[in-house]
Order: sequence, then structure tokens, then C-alpha cells
Amino acid sequence: MAFKTFVIHRHRHLKWTALDPLENLLMILCGVSIAGFTFSVFLDVVTRELGSAFLWLQLVTTGFFAWGVFIGMAVATRRMDHLNLVEITKHMSGPKRTFMEVFNRLIILAVALAMLVFGIQNGMNDMGSFRAPSLIPLATYTASVPIAGALMVLFCIEQLMNGWSHGFEGPEDSEEYVEIK
Amino acid sequence: MSNGAIILLMTACFLGFGYMGVPVAFALMAGVLAACALTPISMQSMVGQMFHGIDSEILLAVPFFLLVGELMTSADVTNRMIRLAQTMVGHLRGGLAQVVTLFSMFFAGISGSSTADVAVLSRTVAVEMTREGYDRAFTAALIACASTMANLIPPSIMAVVYGATGNVSIGGLFLAGIVPGVLVGIGLMIYSHFFGPAGIQKARASLCDFADAARGAALPLMIPVIIMGGILTGWFTPTEAGMVAAVYILLVLVPLLARGHIPSLPRDFVYTGLLYSIPLALVAAASAFGWMLAYLRGPDIVAGWIEMVAGHDGRIIMLLLVLLFIIIGDFMDAVPAIIIFMPIVIKLNELGNIKPLHMGVVLITTLVFGLITPPYGLSLLVASKFIGVPFTRAMYASLPIYVVFFVTIAFTVLFPDIVLYLPKLLLPESVGCFKSPTGAGYICPP
Repeated sequence: MAFKTFVIHRHRHLKWTALDPLENLLMILCGVSIAGFTFSVFLDVVTRELGSAFLWLQLVTTGFFAWGVFIGMAVATRRMDHLNLVEITKHMSGPKRTFMEVFNRLIILAVALAMLVFGIQNGMNDMGSFRAPSLIPLATYTASVPIAGALMVLFCIEQLMNGWSHGFEGPEDSEEYVEIK
Repeated sequence: MSNGAIILLMTACFLGFGYMGVPVAFALMAGVLAACALTPISMQSMVGQMFHGIDSEILLAVPFFLLVGELMTSADVTNRMIRLAQTMVGHLRGGLAQVVTLFSMFFAGISGSSTADVAVLSRTVAVEMTREGYDRAFTAALIACASTMANLIPPSIMAVVYGATGNVSIGGLFLAGIVPGVLVGIGLMIYSHFFGPAGIQKARASLCDFADAARGAALPLMIPVIIMGGILTGWFTPTEAGMVAAVYILLVLVPLLARGHIPSLPRDFVYTGLLYSIPLALVAAASAFGWMLAYLRGPDIVAGWIEMVAGHDGRIIMLLLVLLFIIIGDFMDAVPAIIIFMPIVIKLNELGNIKPLHMGVVLITTLVFGLITPPYGLSLLVASKFIGVPFTRAMYASLPIYVVFFVTIAFTVLFPDIVLYLPKLLLPESVGCFKSPTGAGYICPP
């Protein structure tokens, strides 16, 4: 099944199968974003060298880039790929582990909610601002922030509900567990 | 509440949540949002600042250099460079340890990512080292230490982030990183030769073998030439150079050297798409944190403390900053550290009349040391995980190697003329020189 290809199996017990296609889609969009801005920077250099630079290519580039960053930030939340200072909870178990895991996800949820709510407000304001030379509304870029916020809220709730009912401990807590992709 | 107290609260939120297991980007934003509640700054503007933090064309170089590393690793083209390194230094005492260091120097010229270097070496040379009886803790320590060169020898992701946030020439930072990078490499080779395991003594490769290996590695080794050549001749910006290197791999290297890998290319793009978003999410959050810190006059407060100790002596200011960044590098990732502390660094550059490029290369050299020090030694963590050795054992094995980094940092601080020789020669504007009004040559400040 193609849709399963990019879904990571780590922390399976914290995930709903119903959201796997969404993770897969977001991963594909990450790939599309980097392929997109690689191609647009390539075209930018080629057209510049040919003496007929298309300035709007830079807008395409920054669009792909910004959307890629925030979509990647969202999907990394589901895959738990974000960088941590320590993985303190891995060595805990029982109620202590549950408390820490829930607390950490509530912090992530608070930040994600702020990105959603204030990102929407920024997006509304940015409808009236435009990027030269193509005069695309700035909101087409900044909309990536609330959308990432909404996705992270969804993934946090998914992990909180699954962790609460099945426990947060999993096989990936073992020192020997290695899964990069 | 005073500004100092709010700064302390922000920092406590960030470090407290971070050390409770909240991902760094979210811990940083939680600190910023807490500060918003105590200042007239709106949370809306801080969320907007996250977007503005990554809305920079220069930062596009980060995904390109990560893409180059990912393509080279997954297409297995790196094996050719390992073979070249083996023919050059494989016969020395501790031959495979020397190969690790030399390969890392080659790979550093292609990818700006230490993690990619660790991944390649752990899957290839590390297996062979275990077979030859090298202590696995030593192997993990050496690979982690050697991988730090990826952030010194150009292209370097730390240099891109430093240049983008500090308005310092990225080409200049690339060139200035060569001296400390090579010093770390030479230091590791000397350490492995005299203090590392002997390994199995091998015969010196014949000239024919070397020529064959060099021919095999010639196409991959064109990448540093393309990147630095493009930047130095003014053909490309660092971002465009990264793109050209990626396109070169896609259109030349993969079809010629790893044709079987072509169907897997979409997968490489997908994973790199995710991979680049993780440090850039940190950039977004750190830029909001740095903005708030600057608003609260954090740079003035810290600069005031440092001025009390160092006065206006540039060298002492630099040494104090090195100490500060050694501590910071132990506890947090280099990318947010650069962005958060940049306003302080700029202020201290002015105070001590320090060349921004010199300060940049000193701080990058200091921060790469943080990649191998506990508790947040990312390269050492990844290497120990890949090689299957407890982190504490790998850490103990790396302790004597710290000397190499102390010597390199001290050299970078004390001999700016040598470190900045290449930038001054090839990119004079990057060290503050300007064209002579007569049109002949450059005039450089002392």
C-alpha cells in the first residue's frame, strides 16, 4: 500500500491508524516543498544567467520553503522527531511517566494553540499586505503557521488520548531501539 | 516586574521545560509566551516573529546542504571516498581510525551536517573497526569528534545560520572555518596515531591502487570545488551553490555512479523535507526568543556584566564568550544558541572592536565542541546509538580527545591573522576591507 510508505512505526501505540494517511500526505508535501524550491532556485539561476530573470520565482521559492518548514514541524510532532534536550521520560514508568508525558504534551498543545489562534489573526491582517512584484497576499505564506498549529493540536490530542488509555511506554524506550526512518 | 526578572523567567521556562522533555522549539516558544504575559508585547506579534525568523533567502542553504548529504549517503557514493581515504592513510598505525578522520574531512567539504557524517561512518567503517578489535566506545567517540568537522570545513550549516542572523559574510565564514577544521582533523589523526588502538597493520596501497581510488572518487570530490568555486567567483550565492551541488548529484553522480538509486530519489526528497524542517522550526522559535530577549535589553545586561570583567579588551571578551558558549553548547543545540545570543555577540563585537568574522569562526568552533560534550552532545549521542555502546562509555572515551578541541579553540582565538588569512586573500570585503579609491587592491583595517 503506497499510503503506508512514509508512516513511521515508532510509538505506534500513541497513534490512530485513521491519521496515518494524513502523516503520509504531510511527508509527501515535505518532499514536494524541497523539490519545489530546488527547482525554482534552479530556474531562477538559469533565467538570470540567460539575462531574463523572473523575479516572481523568488516568491515561489520562499513559499515552498516556508510551507515546508511549518508542515515539517507539524508532522515531526506526530513522529516525535523534534529535537529534545533530554529524553528524560524514556527512563520513567507508571504514574510518574504519565504525569511527565501529559505535562509535556500540554506545553506543546499550548504553543500549538497559540500558533493556531494568533496565526489566524496574523493571516487576516496579512490579507491586506502584498509581496512585490507579483502582489500575492502575504497571507498565502503566513497561513502555514495556523495550519501547522491546527495539525499539531490534532496530533497532541491523538497522543494524549492514546497515551492515557494505553500508557506511554513502548518498545522504543529500550536503549537498543534504533529507527531512523 | 523588572526586565532582568522576565529574562530569568523566560530562560527558566525554556530550560525547565526542555529538561522535562518538551522539544526545544516548543520550550523556547513557551518561554516567549510566558514573557508576553508580563510585557506589552502581544502573543500575536511573537507568533508572527516565528514566521519572519525563517523568511530569509539565505536560510534556504540549510536544506540544500542537508539534501546534498542525504543524497550522497543514501546513494552510497560515499564508499568511493572511504576507499580513497583507505589508500591514503589505511597503512598507518590505527589505520581505520585515520580513515574515519580523513573521510570526515572529505565529507565535510560536501555536506554541512555532522549527523549525516556520523550516519555514513557508523554504517560503514565502524563495522570494520569492530571486526578489527577496536573498542566500540573509542569508535563512537572518534566518529562523533570527526563529524564535528562538517560544521567547520565549508559548507557549514552553523556558518549559514550565523551569517544569516549576524549579517556576516557566509563565504567569509566558510573560508575562515577551514583552518580550525583542518586543525581538528590533524589533531584527531595525531591522537589516533599515538594514543588510539593500533588496529591491524596493513600494507601501504600501491600508486596504482591510489590512482584507481582517486579516479573513483573524483566525481564526488568535485562538489567542494563547485560549492566554493561558485561562491568565490561570485557566480552563486551560498544558497545557489547548495542547489547547484544537489542538481550536480541528481544529474551527474547518481546517473553515472548509482543508477540503481534513481527510483529511491523521491524518498530522499521526502526525508530531507522533514529533516530540514526540524532545525528550521528551531530557528523560527529561537528568533522569537531572541527578539524578546533583545526587547528586554538582554544584550545590554549581559554586555554590562562582561564589560565589568573584561573592560574593552577584545581578547578577554572573546575568551569570556568562549567560556559562555562552551557552557551553552553543553546544554542546547547550536542553531538556537546562535540566534538567541546573536544580539549579545553583536553588542560585544562593538564593545571590544572585534571583527565579526573572527568572532563568528571562534564561536562556531566553540559550538561544534558542544556536539560531543554531555549532556547534549548530539553527535556523540547519535554515534553511541548507531554503534550500540552506552552514551556514558562513549563520553569517557571522548574525554582525552577534548584536548584537540581546546587547542583548536585557543589557536582560533589567539591567531586571527592565520585563521582569517584565506578570507582576507579571497574575499577581502568579508573581513572589513574595501576597494582602494585608486582602483588597485584593497585597504584593510588593522
